[in-house]
Amino acid sequence: MQLTETDNQAYFDKNKAREKICAVWLKEQDKAVRKPVLFAAMAGIVNGLGVIVQSAALAFILQAIIIDKLPWAALIMPLMVLATVFILRSGCVYLHQTWGFEAGAQVRASVRQRLLTQFLKLGPAGIKQRQSGELAAVTLEQVDALENYFSRYLPQKMIVGVLPVIMIIVVMPVNWVAGLIFLVTGPMVPVFMALVGMGAASANRSQFLAMARMSGYFLDRLQGLETLKLFGQATQELANINKIADGFREKTMAVLRIAFLSSAILEFFSAIAVALVAVYVGLGLLGQIHFGPAEHITLSEALFVLLLAPEFFMPLRQLAVNYHDRAAALGASDAILAILEQDAGMSEAADNAAGCAGEGSASIANDALRASAMAPGNRSIQSSASSYGDFQGNKNLIEFQNVSKYYGERRVLAAINLHISTREKIALAGESGAGKTTLLNLLLGFEAATEGNVLLNGLTVNRECATQEIAWVGQNPYIFHGTIKDNIALADPDASGQNIINAAQAAGVTEFSAQLPEGLLTPIGERGYGLSGGQVQRIALARAFLKNAAIILLDEPTANLDAANKALLLDVIDQLFIGKTLIIATHDPLVINRMSRRITLQQGRLAL
Amino acid sequence: MKDVWFFLKLFKPHSLWLAGGIILSLLTALASIALLTLSGWFISASAIAGLAVLDGNVLAFNFMLPAAQIRALAITRTLGRYGERLVTHEATFRVLAGIRSWFFQQLIPLVPGRLPVMRSGDLLSRMTADIDALDALYLRLLAPAIVAVFGVTAVTLFLAYYAPVISLATGMMLIIASVFVPWVFNRLGRAGAEEIVVLAANFRIRQIDMIQGLADLIANQACGRFSGFLEQFSDVMINTQRQNNRLSAISLALTLLLSQTTLLLALALAALSFKEGLLSGSDLTLVVFCVIAAFELVMPLPQALQMLAKTQKAAQRIRQVTGMMPAICQPKQALALPSRYDLQLNDVSFRYPDQQDWAVKNISLTIPQGGKIAIVGANGSGKTTLLHLIMRYYDPGQGRVLLAGHDLRHLDADDLMTCFGVLSQRSQLFAASIKENLLIAKPDASATELDTAIKAAGLEKFISYLPEGLETWVGESGVKVSGGEARRIALARLYLKNAPVLILDEPTEGLDSDTERNVFKALADFARDKTVVMVTHREAGLGLVDAVYGMERGVLCKL
Repeated sequence: MQLTETDNQAYFDKNKAREKICAVWLKEQDKAVRKPVLFAAMAGIVNGLGVIVQSAALAFILQAIIIDKLPWAALIMPLMVLATVFILRSGCVYLHQTWGFEAGAQVRASVRQRLLTQFLKLGPAGIKQRQSGELAAVTLEQVDALENYFSRYLPQKMIVGVLPVIMIIVVMPVNWVAGLIFLVTGPMVPVFMALVGMGAASANRSQFLAMARMSGYFLDRLQGLETLKLFGQATQELANINKIADGFREKTMAVLRIAFLSSAILEFFSAIAVALVAVYVGLGLLGQIHFGPAEHITLSEALFVLLLAPEFFMPLRQLAVNYHDRAAALGASDAILAILEQDAGMSEAADNAAGCAGEGSASIANDALRASAMAPGNRSIQSSASSYGDFQGNKNLIEFQNVSKYYGERRVLAAINLHISTREKIALAGESGAGKTTLLNLLLGFEAATEGNVLLNGLTVNRECATQEIAWVGQNPYIFHGTIKDNIALADPDASGQNIINAAQAAGVTEFSAQLPEGLLTPIGERGYGLSGGQVQRIALARAFLKNAAIILLDEPTANLDAANKALLLDVIDQLFIGKTLIIATHDPLVINRMSRRITLQQGRLAL
Repeated sequence: MKDVWFFLKLFKPHSLWLAGGIILSLLTALASIALLTLSGWFISASAIAGLAVLDGNVLAFNFMLPAAQIRALAITRTLGRYGERLVTHEATFRVLAGIRSWFFQQLIPLVPGRLPVMRSGDLLSRMTADIDALDALYLRLLAPAIVAVFGVTAVTLFLAYYAPVISLATGMMLIIASVFVPWVFNRLGRAGAEEIVVLAANFRIRQIDMIQGLADLIANQACGRFSGFLEQFSDVMINTQRQNNRLSAISLALTLLLSQTTLLLALALAALSFKEGLLSGSDLTLVVFCVIAAFELVMPLPQALQMLAKTQKAAQRIRQVTGMMPAICQPKQALALPSRYDLQLNDVSFRYPDQQDWAVKNISLTIPQGGKIAIVGANGSGKTTLLHLIMRYYDPGQGRVLLAGHDLRHLDADDLMTCFGVLSQRSQLFAASIKENLLIAKPDASATELDTAIKAAGLEKFISYLPEGLETWVGESGVKVSGGEARRIALARLYLKNAPVLILDEPTEGLDSDTERNVFKALADFARDKTVVMVTHREAGLGLVDAVYGMERGVLCKL
C-alpha cells in the first residue's frame, strides 16, 4: 500500500519502545503484591508436589495389586494417602486462585486510587482534552484488565521456575534415564520456542499493521458512510470491507501458524517424553533393554515416571495459556500510563494544594513570604494574618500583577493589571473568547498564570486556598446524581436542614421544587436531566449561597435564559449576595448595567 | 442467550470449517487419552510378561506393535493439536470476517439519521473489539462442549468393553462434572455476575459525574469526599468480584475433587474385579489410566461457562446497534423518480427524538425547478435540519415534503439520493487515492470526465504539484490536504455526480476569502440550470440565489 517499509518499521519500533515502558511499569506494580503472588505460587507448587505424591501412591497401589497381590489391609494406608492428597490438592487449587485474586485486587485498587488522584491533579482544564466516557473506561475496564497478569501470569511464572526442577530431582534417583529424558526435553522447549519466536517477529509486525489498518479503514468508512450513501456507493463498499476483513484473517493466520508452531513444539516434546518413557520402561520391564537401570525396574517405578511425564510439561503449558493475560495487561497499562503521565501543567498550584487544609499552616506562611518577596512592601500587615487575613475593607482584595496566559502559542490574556476591593460589584464584560473565563480560572487557581502573579488578599493564589474563600458558579453548573438537597449541600454536606432550606428559598429553588413529588429530596440526574436551564442555575446559586464565601464568581449566569427568566434571576442574585464581593462574567448589557463597576476584556487585554 | 443464538445462526455459511475443527479437536483429545491409556497398559503388560520370562517362560508378548502405536499416537496428538488449532482459528476468523461485513451491512440503512447519535469510536469498538469477543463462542464454548459430549461417550463405551460397572460409574461422574457442576455454579454465580454489571454501570455514572463536574467539585471543596466515595465503590466492586472468584475457585476445586473421587472409585472397582479374576492386571492399569486422562475432556467446561457472560454482553452490544430502527422506512412500493425537481414543504415541523423543542416549526416553502434560495441564521437555528428533511434523512413530525408533487415518503430513499449534490463544511475524504476519492461520485467516469471535473473545481494546479498526481494517497495516513483542497475535491465530486438539486450547507465555512470567492465562482457556473438550496451565515455567495430567507429558532421568514 502507500506506507513504505521504513514507515512500517518506525511505527512498529515506536510501539515496541512503548511496550517496554509499559512492561517496566507493570513490574513496578508487582512490588506491592509480592506476598499474595508468592502465596499463590506456593499453592501452585504444593499442588504440583501433591501430583508427585499422588503418582507415587497410585503407582505403589497398582504394583501392590497386580504384581505383589497384597491383601486389602495393606492397601488401606496408601489409599488413605491418596485420598488425603486429593483433598490437599483441591484446597491448593482453591488457594491458588483466591490468593492470585488478592494480588490483582490490591493492584487494581491502588491504580484506581492513583487515577482518581491524577484526575484531581489535572483539574478541569487538563481533563477536558479527553472524553469523559473514555476516561471512565480506563478507571473501570482497563484497570480490571490488569487482574489476570497479577493473579495468574506472575504466579505461574514462579511455578515454572520451581516445579519442573523438583520433578527432575525426584525422578532422578528413581530412574535416571527417565530423569535424563526430562532434563533434555524440558529445556528444549524454551529454546525451540525462542527460535520460532524470532521468525514470528516479522509476521507479528505485519499482522499488527494489518490490524491497525483494518481499524483505520473501518473508522474511515464508518465516518464516511453518509457520503458513501449520498453517492450510492455504500453497498459497493461492502465488497471492500469483506476484502479487508479477509486480509486481516490471512495476516492473523500467518502469525498464528507460527505461534501455534511453538505450542506444537511444547506438545511435541511432551508427547515424545511420554512415548520415550513408556517405551523405555516398558521394554526394560520386558528385559529387552539393558541400558541404565532398565533391568531392575519395577512396575511401580515405571508407572510413577510415566504418570509424571505429562505433569512435567504442565506448568509450561499453563504459562503459554496465561501469556495472553500479559498482552492484555500491557495494552491496559498503555492507556493507564497515558493518563498518569499527563502533565498537570499547573504543578505549582497542585504542589501548594497539599499543605493548605488548615488555616495558618506552614505552607500558607511560606506563600505569604513568597508573596511579599515578590511584591516588596506590598502588604506587610496581611502577611502576618492567618490564611487570607481580614477581608473587611480591603482595597486590594484581588490583584492581578501583569498577568499573561498562553495556551501553547496562543495568547489568551496579556499583561493584565487589576485591583478589586471588598464588596465591589463587578461586571467582567467582553466578547466570547475575550478571556473572561480564563481570568476567572486563574483567580480560582484552576489554571496557573504563564507570567505574572494573581494575588488574593496579598497571597499568591492556589486552588485549595482560593476555593475556601470563593464561591463559583460556572457557565454550565454540573448537577450530580442525587437529590436537589445533596446538590445544594455540595460544599457543606453537614449543613443543617434549615440552612439548606433557607438557601433553597433564597435562590428560588423552592418555587419549582415544591411542585416535585418529593420536594427538595427529589432525585435528579446527569446534566440535571428534567430541569430547565434556569432551574439548574438556581440550584447552583443556592449552592454558592450556602457556601457563604466572601467572594462570588458567576460565569455567564444568564447565557441560556430568556428575557423574563433573566430578570428574575438577576433579582435573586442581587438579594443573595448583598454583602459580598461579586464578579460576574457576561456580555449581556442588562447584567452589565446592574453592576457598579465594569471591567472589559478585548482579545485578552483590558480595555479602558 | 437470545443474542448468542442469533450469532450462532450467522455461523452457518462456515459450517464446514467449524465441523472440521471440531473433528480434529476430537481426534486429538482421543489420541491424547489413548496415549496415556495405552502406555499404562503397555507397561503393566510388559511387567507381567517380564515376570513370566524371569520364571523361565518364553516371552509371549508382541511388544513391537504397542510400542509403535505409542509413537504413532504421540505424533498424532502433536500434529492433531497443531491442525486443530489452525482449523478452529481459521474457522473462527472466517466467521468473524463474515460478521464484520454483516455488521457494516446492517449499518447502511441506519445512516443518515440514526447512527450519528453514536460516537464513531464507540461504533468502531463494537465493530472490532466486540466482534472479536465472539470468538469465544466457538473456540471456548461450542467446540469444547461438542468434543466433551463425543469424547465422554467414546470413553464410556470403551470402558464398557472392559468393565461395565466402572464405565457406568465413570460416565455418571463425567456427566456430573461436565453438566451438573457448571450448571450449578452458573446459577450460583449469576446473581454476583449481574451485580457486577450493575455496580460497574453505577461506578461509570459516578466517575463521569466526577470528571464532568470536576470544576464544581473543586470549587466546592468536595473532591476529597467524592473520590473517597468512588474508592469505596471500587472496594465494593472488588469485594463482589472476590466473592465471584471464590465461587469459581470452589467450582474448580470441586471439579478436581470429583475427578479424583472418580479415580479412587475406578481404582477400587477395578481392584475388586481383578481380585475376582474379571479383569487382567494390565487391563486394570488401562482402566485407571483411561479414567485419569478422560477428565481432561471436561476440565475446560466450568471456565467456558464463566466466559459465556462476557460473550453474551458483547453479542448484546452488537445487537443494540444492528437492532436500531432506521430513521425512515422505505415504501413498500416506491414510485418512480419524477422527471421534474420542484421542491415543496407544506407546514413542516420536526423535532429530534428525546427532545422537547421543535427543531423546525411550521415551515412552508416552495422552490420550483431551477429556483435558488439561501437560508441565513445563527448556529442551531435549524437550517441544517431543514436541509436534512429535504433529503429525507428524517421524516417530518408534521406536514409533508414534496418532490414534484410526490411525498418523499413514497419514493425510494436510495433513488432520492441520486437527485442531490451536496457540498458541506465537512468534506469527507477517504483513505484512498485522489482518483478513487473522485470516482466515488461516478465509478464509471472516463478520463476526460475526470479532467473536466478537476479543471472546473480548480484542482489542476494542486494535482500537478503532486509527484504521484491523481494516484496520490489522501485521507488518514496519506498526504495532508488543506481544508480548501478538500473542499475542491468535494466540488469535483459534485461536478461528476451532476445531480439536479444542489444542497450547499455552509459550503465555504472555514475557507479564507480568496478560496471562498473561487468556490462560489465555480459554483455559479455549474449551478446555472440547477435547483439550489444553500444554508449560510455569511454574506458571500448570496449573489448566487434568487431569494434569501432568515431562520431563527426553527422558524423561517422571508428577508
